Parts: sequence; C-alpha cells; structure tokens
Amino acid sequence: MKLVQEHRFLLYKVCRLYCFTEADRQDLFQEIVIQLWKSYPGFRGDSKFSTWLYRIALNTAISDLRKQGRRPSTTSTSEIPPSLPDMTSPGEEEQQLQQLYAAIARLSDVEKALVMLYLEDKPYEEMEEIMGINQNNLRVKMNRIREKLRKMTKEAAYGIR
Amino acid sequence: MELDSLKYVWRTLEAAPASESGPDEIHALLQRRSGGIVTRMRRNLTGELILIAATYTPAILFYFLDFEGRLSGIAWLFILLLTMLAVYFYRKNQLLKAMQCTGCSLYSNLRQQITTLKIYIKFYVWSGTIMIPVMFILSWLIIRWKFPAAPGADLFYQLSGTPWWQHPLIWAVFLIPVTVGIYFVNLWYVHRLYGRHIRKLQDLLQEMEEE
Repeated sequence: MKLVQEHRFLLYKVCRLYCFTEADRQDLFQEIVIQLWKSYPGFRGDSKFSTWLYRIALNTAISDLRKQGRRPSTTSTSEIPPSLPDMTSPGEEEQQLQQLYAAIARLSDVEKALVMLYLEDKPYEEMEEIMGINQNNLRVKMNRIREKLRKMTKEAAYGIR
Repeated sequence: MELDSLKYVWRTLEAAPASESGPDEIHALLQRRSGGIVTRMRRNLTGELILIAATYTPAILFYFLDFEGRLSGIAWLFILLLTMLAVYFYRKNQLLKAMQCTGCSLYSNLRQQITTLKIYIKFYVWSGTIMIPVMFILSWLIIRWKFPAAPGADLFYQLSGTPWWQHPLIWAVFLIPVTVGIYFVNLWYVHRLYGRHIRKLQDLLQEMEEE
C-alpha cells in the first residue's frame, strides 16, 4: 500500500497515457493497483522495484482492452485532440504537455510505452528489461517515434519546430 | 515537438487527477472486483461451473430417488458427465491462470498471452465439439438400455428388422454433420469472443518484433 502511495504519480501517468476519460483512467488505476497487489508476493527483487512496477502498469494498460472501442483512432491527423478534456491550461509548460499528450494519443500502445519510459529518462538497459526488446531495436524505434511526433505536430500545426 | 526538450516538463508536471488516492482510497480499490479480461474470464468460468453443478445435482438426485431407483443408471451417466466437465473446467482454469505474467517484460507477457489464448481457444472448440456427440450417444445408449422398444413399435426404431440405433451407419450419417456443425458454431463463437483480442495482441507483438 505504501509503495503504491509512493509511486502513484507514475501510475497516474500510465492511466493518463492509455485512457481518455476520467472514468476509464479510474478503472485502469484500480486494475493496476489490483495487479500490483496480486503480483507483489512474486516480486523477488531480481530487478529494480521501479522496473517491476513499470512492467505491471504497462502490461495491465496494454493487455486490458476493455475500453478499446472508446479509444481514439491512431491514424487520422484530424483527430488529434487539442487537449485532454479535464486539463487546465495555465502556463506554457502545461500547454506543451497538453500538446505532447495529444500527439501521444495517436501513437500505438507499444510506442506510448516507449515514449513514457524515454520521458522518464530511463536508460536503454532498463527499457530493455521492461519492454523485452533489445536495445538496438529500441533505439531504432525511438528514432522513428521522434520523427513521427515531429511530423504529426507539424501536420496538425501544433507548436512546429 | 522535440521529446528531449519535454523531459523536464514531463517530470515536473504531475498527471495527478483532481482527487488523489490516499491510503484509504487505495484500500477501497482493492476491495472492488477486478475488471481485467482474464479475471472476467475466470469469473465467467466459475459462473458456468456453478450453473452446471446446480443443474446436474437435482437431475442426479431425481434419477437416483425416483422410479424406485430403476433409472439410477442415468444418474451415474450424469455423474460421469459431471466428472468430464470437472476435468474440462480444471483445464480451462489452469490455462487462464497461465495466461498472464504481469511481472514479466511486455514482450514475454504478450507472447505468453497469445500462446495460452490459442491453446485455450483450441481446447474450447474441440472439447465443445466432442462433448456434444459423446453426451448424445451416452444418453441414447442408456435410454435404449433402460427403455428397450418393442420391435416394430416405431418406424424410427426399426429398419430392416434391426433397431435403427444399432446401425453405426445411421449414427454416423446423423452425428457427423451435427458434430461438424457444432465445430463450426464453436469456432465462430470463440472467435467472436476472443478474435478481436487475439488480433490486437498479435499486432502488438508484431510491432515489437519489427526492426
């Protein structure tokens, strides 16, 4: 319980990335907490706790397809939401983050996981442990995602650089 | 948009919801029922097991106690079927237990899910297909054993001087299309239930494997 409390912001971020309504986020948060609770006795400390936590959270988010029908399409540029529904937009940083979330919303589930780990500044070694993809492949994928995000934001005219 | 420039923003701005989860809220979450797909499948399986047990138990008691016990053979048949169903439920439950490994890497978990789900689907289709003719044949055998028809009493009981149910050809002619039909119905149903899920998992795995 204490560990969930300590890492709750990480779990919120996962829910934010994979769900688009508050109700779905709450459902996913609950599911991740339940999975953490169930899996904790099997945590032997072979990897870092955060690595294990990311695995549980991302596995649950990706495998849990209950709300699939309510997820936005990942193909059409015109469908990029300008911002997520319940966010406020006070500062420039928050605005940038909204744009980031909006662009990430159009990535595939695997790409979302990679972007999240990248933004969390996880080294490629840890990303490999979490994702199960070798580091070379991860680097290639990350380059493609960067390019994709650039292209998407350019197309949608959101903060082109 | 450059990802690197957003790292700082990402790490400093938290994605907290309006109402944060305190220890009490987290404890309350753990009391609720899980909505995960595998958990729901296991719950449905338990529901099916309870339904089967609730249906078969009165039938078994009825055939043991009524008709002065002359039809206890049917009760034993039901017990045999119940035993077969118990094996069926046990196997399905074992597969569902093995379906997820949330503590594994995403790639391993996806592979494991796909492999197990495929075995589950195959088992679902074949056991569902085989069980129907087995049940049908056993039921008819016991009915014929307990209620032998008078020769010539019924057009369907007699064929060329031999009770029609003793002709394997007639059984084959009747049962083969029924069994094939049931196989396809099962196949359609199982893909309706899990087809989309398995395709999604396969797409994800393929995406992870792509270089």
